[in-house]
Amino acid sequence: MCFVIVTGISFPIVLHPTSWREFPIIPGLEEKAKIIFFHVPTAWLSVVAFLMAMVYGIKYLRNKNLDDDARSSAALQLGMMFSILATITGSIWAKFNWGTFWNWDPRETSIFILLLIYGSLFALRSAIDNEDKRARLSAVYSIIAFLTVPFFIFIMPRIMLGLHPGSLEIDPTTNKVVQGTNPVVDFKMNGSMRLVFFVSLFAFTILYYWMWSVRSKAIIIKENLSKK
Amino acid sequence: MEGGFLGFLEKNSIYIVLFIVLVIWSGIFLFLLNTDKRLKAIEKELKEK
Repeated sequence: MCFVIVTGISFPIVLHPTSWREFPIIPGLEEKAKIIFFHVPTAWLSVVAFLMAMVYGIKYLRNKNLDDDARSSAALQLGMMFSILATITGSIWAKFNWGTFWNWDPRETSIFILLLIYGSLFALRSAIDNEDKRARLSAVYSIIAFLTVPFFIFIMPRIMLGLHPGSLEIDPTTNKVVQGTNPVVDFKMNGSMRLVFFVSLFAFTILYYWMWSVRSKAIIIKENLSKK
Repeated sequence: MEGGFLGFLEKNSIYIVLFIVLVIWSGIFLFLLNTDKRLKAIEKELKEK
């Protein structure tokens, strides 16, 4: 498998040494298309982090182990940070492609609602002093909150008209709602771009995992120390 | 479109990419700095005990 991957990637590069960094020109995006290597992993990691928060929430409810609550809380903090980063980077990109920093595109609205949902979880956590009660409520909240994530991230922006890639658009010739006529809205990557994209996604995921494990260990040790 | 800094970015869009990368790294850096602060507090507590 490794052999196939390495040879599959390296032989085309040896044959065409410059082809790996040649990206197709996407009309309307040009160099800005490279933002996708950084903006999409942040959004992806926020979904992964919220999923992990839910998984450790379920684990806590089954075992009543406070360490699982600490792990869930670390994932929540990282998820929040990555969704804020996705919002900021997205709105900077929007300024240069759509004209304004914020224009209530379905994708922007959905991440805004997600930030509100998860932001209130932090308010809930800081309002409760009792550790067990806090962990139980937070676990239940993170499970319910994650149920909305697939809708807000994957479904809602795809069934509404918008400018973000994946949205529906109105075909100017037929005036019908369609998918995939505008090159900016219907974004296609070529092979080398896809390779860089997936390497970036993978590297960001490893970075996330390391940050999560350091953060959760710090929370667990802190809690154990304060108990003694 | 617009003059000044925004106009410059408009013409040289690779700097927008650079700016966005900087935003992401500073976010990650701040998070790690915060984790480091927590670890320092733990270290201090352990030394005191």
